Amino acid sequence: MRRRDFALLLPAAALAQQRPVGDPVLKAMKDEMARSGPLSVVGGQPLYYMECALDDAVAFRATSSLGALFTSSNSALRVPRVAVRIGGKKFDNTNYIFSEVFMGTRFDPDQFPLDNNPAAMRQIFWLAIDRAYKTAIEAIGRKRAALRNITQAEELPDFSDATPTQMVMPVPNWSVDEELWKNQITRLSRLFAAYPEIYTSSIDFESSRDTYYFANSEGTELRYTEMLAYVRARANGQAADGMRLRDHAFFFATETGKLPSEADMEREVRRTADNLKALISAPLGESYSGPVLFEAEASAQLFSDLIGSQSALLRKPVAEPGRPINLPTSEMEGRLNSRILPTSFTVVDDPTQKEYKGRPLMGHFPVDLEGVKPQAVVLVEKGNFKNYLATRIPTRENKVSNGHARLPGSFGGYLASSSNLFIKSDEPVPTAEMKQKLIELIKQRNKPYGMLIRKLDFPSTASFEELRGLVGGLSSRPAPLPLLAYRVYPDGREELVRGLRFRSLNVRALKDIVASGNDEVQFDYLANGAPFAIVGGGNYVFGCSTVAPSILFEDIELERPQVELPKLPIVPPPPLTA
Amino acid sequence: MSYQMVEQEAMSVTGTLGTLQGSSAGKSRSLDVSIRVGDAKLDNYRQIRGDRPQFAGGIPMPLEDEPNALRRRLWLETDRVFRAAGQRLINIKTNQQVKLEGDDKSGDFSPVPPVVKFETVAPIKFDARLWQEKVRKWSQYFSDKPEVLASNVAVVVQREVKTLVTTEGTKLQHGRSFARILISARGKASDGMNLAASETFEGEDLGRLPDEKAVQKAVEKVYQKLAALLKAPLAEPYTGPAILSGKSAGVFFHEIFGHRIEGHRQKDESEGQTFTKMVGQKILPDFLSVKMDPTLHHLAGIDLYGWYNFDDEGVVARPVSVVKAGVLENFLMSRSPINGFPVSNGHGRKQLGAEVVSRQSNLVVESSKAVSNADLRKQLIEEIKKQNKPYGLYFEEVSSGFTITSRRGLQAFSVVPVMVYKIFPDGRPDQLIRGADVVGTPLTSFSKIVQTSNETTVFNGYCGAESGQVPVSASSPALLVSEIEISLRERSQERPPYLERPIGPTITGGTL
Repeated sequence: MRRRDFALLLPAAALAQQRPVGDPVLKAMKDEMARSGPLSVVGGQPLYYMECALDDAVAFRATSSLGALFTSSNSALRVPRVAVRIGGKKFDNTNYIFSEVFMGTRFDPDQFPLDNNPAAMRQIFWLAIDRAYKTAIEAIGRKRAALRNITQAEELPDFSDATPTQMVMPVPNWSVDEELWKNQITRLSRLFAAYPEIYTSSIDFESSRDTYYFANSEGTELRYTEMLAYVRARANGQAADGMRLRDHAFFFATETGKLPSEADMEREVRRTADNLKALISAPLGESYSGPVLFEAEASAQLFSDLIGSQSALLRKPVAEPGRPINLPTSEMEGRLNSRILPTSFTVVDDPTQKEYKGRPLMGHFPVDLEGVKPQAVVLVEKGNFKNYLATRIPTRENKVSNGHARLPGSFGGYLASSSNLFIKSDEPVPTAEMKQKLIELIKQRNKPYGMLIRKLDFPSTASFEELRGLVGGLSSRPAPLPLLAYRVYPDGREELVRGLRFRSLNVRALKDIVASGNDEVQFDYLANGAPFAIVGGGNYVFGCSTVAPSILFEDIELERPQVELPKLPIVPPPPLTA
Repeated sequence: MSYQMVEQEAMSVTGTLGTLQGSSAGKSRSLDVSIRVGDAKLDNYRQIRGDRPQFAGGIPMPLEDEPNALRRRLWLETDRVFRAAGQRLINIKTNQQVKLEGDDKSGDFSPVPPVVKFETVAPIKFDARLWQEKVRKWSQYFSDKPEVLASNVAVVVQREVKTLVTTEGTKLQHGRSFARILISARGKASDGMNLAASETFEGEDLGRLPDEKAVQKAVEKVYQKLAALLKAPLAEPYTGPAILSGKSAGVFFHEIFGHRIEGHRQKDESEGQTFTKMVGQKILPDFLSVKMDPTLHHLAGIDLYGWYNFDDEGVVARPVSVVKAGVLENFLMSRSPINGFPVSNGHGRKQLGAEVVSRQSNLVVESSKAVSNADLRKQLIEEIKKQNKPYGLYFEEVSSGFTITSRRGLQAFSVVPVMVYKIFPDGRPDQLIRGADVVGTPLTSFSKIVQTSNETTVFNGYCGAESGQVPVSASSPALLVSEIEISLRERSQERPPYLERPIGPTITGGTL
């Protein structure tokens, strides 16, 4: 009798229990979820959904600077995450400001055993589910209480249906030749010793394997692995007036063996150092308003920020009466079916694509964090914004998920984010003509020069303080800072300038694109949910790729922010030995 | 001006429920730069109310002695610290124009003879696989104990080499290593009270830690303590005689007495300054003496955690007699002088990235009025009868706030009794109680010390204060006090887990 009650409350869990599972982690998750049915009775609140997730990450990291190794470490970490939903899909404990706030004592460890010991794993999931259930009881009670005194602008269900997915993939072997990479990055870091004007520089290396385990009470079971390797070169210096300047180069691959050759990286690192050296002695830019050409890489960076990071609607959680919360909203909010790009443009976010022109795409994933198979989403069609990226949290425009849950959220659900973003124009112009078009525009408008942007600070390698100083106080959402900006004179000559930022370069400006090149490039980066994907800005990172052509804007403003500049070091830099 | 580079090497393995929970190994080198501007009478390190000096950055340095990388870091960090130092000195001088002078008119920096010495520290030999197997085995014990909700066993080894150069001519390299085993378990009583039990072992290196059997026994003891606590009746408000075990007494002395004899507190106007003007006066019973001895490596068969050869200002370590026969003689001194104590006595200590203040080392309480533990207990019972109390108390173990899991986030200033027993005058067996909190001023309690035992026990751990975490120890004989007051501790009222713990197959010792 009792059993049947539980079966009614948790039909999917009971169903899932019948399927044999080979993986011990998934088995421990499912065993404990199956056992947790009675919580509904003893706790007095109907439990309608449960999920257990585990991120199993192994990594090797090293950092070098000026020919010396600074750090080298191995890590093996398993981080569990357990969530439950009580009430029903129409109204549950999530999407409330305190949905994840647990007031009691936590007994389940935040570090999960590295061994697959069934008894130990079950003990931990047992305590984690208990904690999640207690958290849910408090949250739903407080959410109901809060809603007695506030009226929601719109009543939306809290959770949507999704088809259960079973995808248990083999875990690939992972290994890295630590000595080889320590030596290689140390050699690369020594390249900066030829540049005395560069004050600090570093080369970071990371190779990791992350296996995601997930099971929910609806019968979804996942085990899949993502591998990642990167080399990151960063350099900083100071101009004679004290302005801090920097440049960076990133190399990504889905496997360590697929990273570029040392010779290729060396060339890029040298280029980075040369760029920075040039920036340090470059003249200051002046306020500018007029045509701006973004080369393909800078264009891809701009689209990653303006469209990629803004294409998901954030479900606003229920707040406490009288204490409204100010969460950043998407720039795309309210822009559905509005034109944001010229009619020749189409933008698609497609996690199902694995490669572009033979090169792996960083944003591919077989299934999202909620176990939903991803779909290609046409974000922009004929210049009109048509769709948002979505998770299982319903929003006004998305009643169901399109498989873009890529980041754990803060209010009992996940956040949607972009993956592989493809920007296409059906009226491409040969690349060689793009610069010519820029020159024509400045001649038409009688300007002494136009502006060319070759690289943006995205993902940003600025410090948080630096970024706050440079983009603070702006009235609209700031755009990434230009790292390499050039004046282009009517005779085609280019001159690098420093110290500029964009003014009001946001999604509204995209309509003013007057031409796009036939030079699509793929730009890879790691996003983390933080503004400008700032390096070190979030614990949870995920790969993204953007494919975009160069673009020419008719009118963009650049300005020189009025910020205090630090003084130069009192003593000149110590000499460098080659 | 000084440069201090600290090379740290640490290895640790943690096990829970028969599994490996974490295993890490790491090496780092970091730099702290100190620059003093102004002069020894008034410099940029002077404390102004509500604003402590902070110049050290603990910035990463190369693991190899590569001149380009080393010099670039030193250059930029020196520039940063020099600018900050100059700015702070101006602020201090401005502040002085609008502030009355404090009582203590001593300067900011005292002279010391330069030291040139190059010591080496033996490398750590750590067989990770072997220790992983051990923590799996030890932690397995908790896996069939339903009342234990969380448990782990950790083994940590560390090696620290400090290199200090100063513009005064000091060129010093010194250091030491540490090894530690920590066993802990937590549970929840049926009324919601959270309870924890732990045991630790400390040694200068892995070879000096106890053998496997002794650790296994300690694991079992942790369980027995927790299981007994979970079943123990609640404490009730009480005032009366008590015995503090040697370890408990050591922690009390460290927290309540030791921190108050740290030199820098004597000139900080925001401090309580309990003892500032009591040098030469009696502050403890005649039969008690307290010394702070960083040169002591072992006591009562235990390795002491608080030893060092040089402090973080390069001052050679030496024993300091703090209280002799009840009379206050000395404060613990760094190079920041105070009234009557113009020079350092080698107690300027800090954690990487923090600024030096005077800190404790190995605290040792000595007694000239000592009896055996058995006689001390007899005296307690007499005292209970004399005061006509239903029972006395025995504080076997107090939690010092010494951390179990990490060096951060501990509360060194809270002393919470863990294992407290009621001792009955009629010969009934002792009764463990839970939830007792010591109230009142423990300083008063120290004045009520009437007798000590003749057996010293040692407490090792990390102490947290303004200059970060530093390794220390506290040793004392057991103390009989004529009066101590306890009250009931605030407790959690959350429910224990709704469901019974899972009963699954227990597989011993999984593999990676």
